[in-house]
Amino acid sequence: MTLFHFFNCAILTFGPHAVYYSATPLSEYDTLGTSVKAAVVYLATALVKLVCLATFLQVSETEVFDPYQEALKAMIGFIDVAGLYYALAQLTHRNISQNHKFQAVGLGWAFADSVLHRLAPLWVGARGLEFTWDYVLQGLEANANLVFTISLAALGSLMWLRKNKPKTLIPIIYTCAVIIATMPSITSYLRRVMGWHFPKVVGFELLTSLVMAFISCQLFILCQRPSL
Amino acid sequence: MADEKKSKQRHRSMVFESMYPVLALMLILVACVELCDAATVVDVYRLIQYDISGVPFGSRFSSLNHHAASLSFQRGADLSRSVLILPLRELDIGFVQDYISQKQSLGGLLILLPQMFRPGNIGGGELISETEGFRKLLAQLEKLLVHGNIVFPVYFAFENEETDAMLADVKKNDALGQQATATTGGYKLVISVSEPKKIASPTITNIQGWLPGSRADGDSNQLPTIAVVASYDTFGAAPALSVGSDSNGSGVVALLEVARLFSILYSNPKTRGRYNLLFALTSGGPYNYEGTQKWLKSLDQRMRESIDYAICLNSVGSWDNELLVHVSKPPENAYIKQIFEGFSNVAEDLGFQVALKHKKINISNSRVAWEHEQFSRLRVTAATVSELLTPPELLENAGSLSDTRQLVNEDAIIKGIKLVAESLARHIYGHQGKDIKIFADDSSLAVNPFYVRSWLDLLSQTPRVAPFLSKNEPLIMALKKELEDYTAEVSVQHESLDGSFTFYDSTKASLNIYQVASVTFDLLLLLVLGSYLIVLFSFLVITTRGLDDLISLFRRPPSRKVKMA
Repeated sequence: MTLFHFFNCAILTFGPHAVYYSATPLSEYDTLGTSVKAAVVYLATALVKLVCLATFLQVSETEVFDPYQEALKAMIGFIDVAGLYYALAQLTHRNISQNHKFQAVGLGWAFADSVLHRLAPLWVGARGLEFTWDYVLQGLEANANLVFTISLAALGSLMWLRKNKPKTLIPIIYTCAVIIATMPSITSYLRRVMGWHFPKVVGFELLTSLVMAFISCQLFILCQRPSL
Repeated sequence: MADEKKSKQRHRSMVFESMYPVLALMLILVACVELCDAATVVDVYRLIQYDISGVPFGSRFSSLNHHAASLSFQRGADLSRSVLILPLRELDIGFVQDYISQKQSLGGLLILLPQMFRPGNIGGGELISETEGFRKLLAQLEKLLVHGNIVFPVYFAFENEETDAMLADVKKNDALGQQATATTGGYKLVISVSEPKKIASPTITNIQGWLPGSRADGDSNQLPTIAVVASYDTFGAAPALSVGSDSNGSGVVALLEVARLFSILYSNPKTRGRYNLLFALTSGGPYNYEGTQKWLKSLDQRMRESIDYAICLNSVGSWDNELLVHVSKPPENAYIKQIFEGFSNVAEDLGFQVALKHKKINISNSRVAWEHEQFSRLRVTAATVSELLTPPELLENAGSLSDTRQLVNEDAIIKGIKLVAESLARHIYGHQGKDIKIFADDSSLAVNPFYVRSWLDLLSQTPRVAPFLSKNEPLIMALKKELEDYTAEVSVQHESLDGSFTFYDSTKASLNIYQVASVTFDLLLLLVLGSYLIVLFSFLVITTRGLDDLISLFRRPPSRKVKMA
């Protein structure tokens, strides 16, 4: 009955995206187009990242944490941020409010990320007879990723689309954005140097995603007040 | 406005329609991805399956797809859909006997052998008393399995960490009373091989080497011949593990070394004896020495009549003080007396004893107990040099699972080689009774212990069950090449095995061990995920649209009806 397990892990990995879309007012305003555009931008960004990684990174034999390599990977990770900026600021969207724009972009981005990184391993691995917790953990990671992406999109929209922000909040916004953007490096550092196992890492990701979402929500609300 | 909308819709439907074939292709491609991953893969070796004159023996099935169970199962539990894992250390022969004789249904049997029985394992680390106990138990088990008709697959595997961990888990689960089925998880053992097929026309291959003696000038008579014979094939419970280090790897090694020593002597015309030497490596040993019989019958009549006597070597690898010479002609026979005296003189010099044992041939009985009996039936004097006291039963003592390299003592083989070589040489060169050591240590004709060891190691890692050896098997080629180095003429004879024995293939397989979760677990996970998604949905609706919206989703708004009215 392992197709069953595949189905379970699939709804854990991709369900929240669909739920998010249908539960929030996004579905009322029919922002599917924005999400699709964001997904396409993500694909292009992933391609550029791959090319950069292949060009600049050396493949190490062992699982040693090399600070220079990791710094390089983090810098390449900022291409992600650039892609998000393009999707948020440069693409023309239908007349949707700021509020919904960043959510739609974040959703499309996270969905493309999940499909690209998690669908293939899920299809090949979860259908086998052997049972492992890996795919359930992967699904939880996808959930955390969704929250991270939406928070990053929120902070991004604050940074690039909102002109008048309270001066005191600007550094906080930028630090939060940097933390979220370098999340992959942080998790790989935890896994290799600290030797944390996958469940622990996923738990940490979930926790920080909730914290970050809360912080970015508060920041968003605080920034909304002056424009009213 | 309406036209625009309609054209947009048409455009959209066209796009979707054109995507259908692409989607279908992708689905087909994706469904073809094969999944064959298992956490653990173990090499397993199947019990032999054979028929004698149509009567089936051994395990009749080969593929396996059941849950694992251990001996700690509750009494009366149904094991017909489980594979029983029996480590040799905890084997209860009576239990296995019950299962086989009462023909109770079992999904399969997996016997775990200690690592010491692995071919190529030098060993050490096990107590000698423990080893002896295991050997006896293994011999009993083999006898039971080989002579029974078993309707479920039986496999042998070697213990390793993964199997130990799995067995411990299975025992724990069984002790709790949970039988591993589709709904309670556990381990699933899968061996996916096709059904075993009969081996069509199995061949047995005899290899003979001919070393001619020197004829004196003017002597037109045929030189007499002495034959040294050993059968090299084996038979055991697991054909892929049947290496037969002692039976008869030791005999083959002894024959090769004797051939090497005499080839040195015969290479120089001055030391070439007045006897021809015939070395034969025969096959079909466990099956009433069929190969020997066919080889003898194929020999030229004159050649056969010129054979003075033949020495057959059978299991000379694990004896201490006494080696036995088995004969079928009565001991009072002059030839037998001569041969035995030669042996005992040499043995005295070398510091051990030989004893003569006589067993009459029963012509009405088709069972051929010793190789020399095939010679005797064709009126050629022959004797078997062996450490065995009693003749082995049919299909026994021919390379069982417990017959591994550790059982064999090289010094014993070397002593046997010296015995045979010295007595042959004394007979050939006419030095009977004299105190001469031709193959003395530290001479150029010394027995080479490294040669003995290297061939013994090779043979102890090569399973040699005759029906599974092809005509050009590497081992046969190697033996042929070896004899070619030491003799003048080598000929290889291929015969087909007697019709009364039928063998089936599929001797080795890979066992996949999967750790499976039960259906209840999957259902539980589905429930948890469903509730998680519902909670997430409600949470998001409440935070973004307000609680009223959530409630309104479930209540049909009555105001519309009022408005319509």
